[in-house]
Amino acid sequence: MELTFYIAAAVAILSTIMVITRYNMIHALLYLVVSFMAVAVVFFTLGAPFMAALEIIIYAGAIVVLIIFVIMMLNMIQEDVQREKEWLKPSVWVGPALLSAVLLAELAYILLGANPSQTEALVAVDAKLVGLALFGPYLLGVQLCGILLMAGIVGAYHLGRQKKKVIHRFLQERSAAA
Amino acid sequence: MSQNDFLHLMPLLILTFAALLIMLVIAAWRNHKIIYVITAISFVAAFLSLFELRAVTEYTIEPLLVIDGFAVFYIGLMLATALLISMLSYAYFEQQKEQKEEYYILLILATLGACVLVISKHFASLFLGLEVLSVALYALISYLRVRERSDEAGIKYLILAAFSSAFLLFGMALVYFSTGIMTFEGIAAAMSGYRELPMLLLTGFGMMIIGIGFKLSVVPFHMWTPDVYEGAPAPVTAFVATVSKGGVLGLLIRFFMEVDGFRYPTLLLIFTIVAVASMFAGNLLALMQQNVKRILAYSSISHLGYLLVAFLAGSQMGVEAITFYLVAYFITTVGAFGVIAMLSDNSRDAEQMDDFRGLLWRRPWTATAFTAMLLSLAGIPLTAGFVGKFYVLAAGVNTQKWLLVAMLVLNSVIGLYYYIKVIAVMFQQPDTEKEPAIRLRPSIYIASVGTLAVLTLLLVWVGVYPTALVDMIQSMFAEVPTLVAR
Repeated sequence: MELTFYIAAAVAILSTIMVITRYNMIHALLYLVVSFMAVAVVFFTLGAPFMAALEIIIYAGAIVVLIIFVIMMLNMIQEDVQREKEWLKPSVWVGPALLSAVLLAELAYILLGANPSQTEALVAVDAKLVGLALFGPYLLGVQLCGILLMAGIVGAYHLGRQKKKVIHRFLQERSAAA
Repeated sequence: MSQNDFLHLMPLLILTFAALLIMLVIAAWRNHKIIYVITAISFVAAFLSLFELRAVTEYTIEPLLVIDGFAVFYIGLMLATALLISMLSYAYFEQQKEQKEEYYILLILATLGACVLVISKHFASLFLGLEVLSVALYALISYLRVRERSDEAGIKYLILAAFSSAFLLFGMALVYFSTGIMTFEGIAAAMSGYRELPMLLLTGFGMMIIGIGFKLSVVPFHMWTPDVYEGAPAPVTAFVATVSKGGVLGLLIRFFMEVDGFRYPTLLLIFTIVAVASMFAGNLLALMQQNVKRILAYSSISHLGYLLVAFLAGSQMGVEAITFYLVAYFITTVGAFGVIAMLSDNSRDAEQMDDFRGLLWRRPWTATAFTAMLLSLAGIPLTAGFVGKFYVLAAGVNTQKWLLVAMLVLNSVIGLYYYIKVIAVMFQQPDTEKEPAIRLRPSIYIASVGTLAVLTLLLVWVGVYPTALVDMIQSMFAEVPTLVAR
């Protein structure tokens, strides 16, 4: 079981790196699905099969489909791929990547040296346990999530209903110069 | 949930109910004035319901929330501030072409999120409160989308806030990994054995400080502040500067007092560096600004630095000093942005120095109020800001934080310069008679003018007779166990 965890975790990290380095958005999206599925496997090996199923259904299913719709509406063409390629020059990402790698190494060092205070036996957290927790002690948390969604929906409604075309000042300057 | 739980959560329930009610009213009949009145009444009602809770010592709703004197005071402070901001919003939004009604729903929800922050005692409620606050703010900041900078401000806040939330979550995960529990008192119990923080826990706390530091806009997590302050509508800027920061600061105090983070020199060192850097960066960068909103943004960064000085004192007096300073800072900031909101028209906010040139001769009362606010921010005697700064200094001296105290005094002197600069501009004679923009009926401005008058009077009253406020803060905090222990 331990080995499956490490393999799945490595797949998750690798595929996420692939997501941010792809020029074509659809390709990035495919790697994103792989990343979600790897995370689902991680959940499964940690004893949370219900969470694993939710991860697949909600993230790999619903959310990725939404992103695909958005990309289809944006009408990506070859020029966009080229532009992405121009934006993602090594000179842009090498510095931050190196610094992040240092941080990652430090974090790995800390995590490998850590021994958590208590190691409990793994208990499989199934749907019933999740439900009992959510509608037992964490009931207020669920209600707060509802309020969070309400804030999101009201905000999205207001920002999304604009019909007026607004051009950003940078674009305006460029079009004036052209 | 028992009846008692409902009683103790009454302020939050009133806010939730108000948000739902406004949504239904909008569906039936869109009317700015009605929505505005409902909002004001609900803030007042929520505030009055706090009087029922005045005597509460410590009421916990396991495992998420705790309501004590500290929480009641902070909720009251934030509700009063939100009420004042909504008062200032009416005239400001009445002249806009956008739909205005959703603004009030988002304002109520954001206040609700900030209130949840100060009563949370569990990572789950902490995160949910923070997200309710942030999500409402994303939309509020870019509310006036026809303005040229609103999209920029909204996107900047969205991306950076989401990023910092990720840091906060990762930090919480690491803390949970090493302690095995997510309630504050559980973490305190797990940490009580450590004399030195283990690396893993320190990393977790460090990441949480990044998330919290972003919300407080302290250096080095301050880059978003000037752009967002500039791009957001003036009342929203007032909200970001006051309620949002006050809620997070209340949470930080509760968490640190509970786990007694002041025992660990590493954490103290981190906060000391952050405090000193915030004071210097805020004040020095403010010197170079020409835009009044940006000046106030950088000044807010330095004020958070001052607040951290009292926070680092770590004593009960330090917490009292923070709270007093926050009250003074809230009054002043809401007043300053209120003046900006009142002078703004429907195409842009009054934020350039030119908008304030000769203000004293054109609108003497508004200029007087703004001068009072700026003097209070600078910490001139007879204003609330002076007493607040004095209290913070006393807390620092009491715990022998000489370095921080010296930095605070030095920075107050630097800060004086740019506040005086704005005041000097208001005293100049206007070169040309400016054509007044199209104004609304004078009756619409009654609420704004009244609010500004109240704020100015409060400012002077707290500055001249601070004893009443100090007594109130002390009596509210007297029963709080985590504070009394120190």
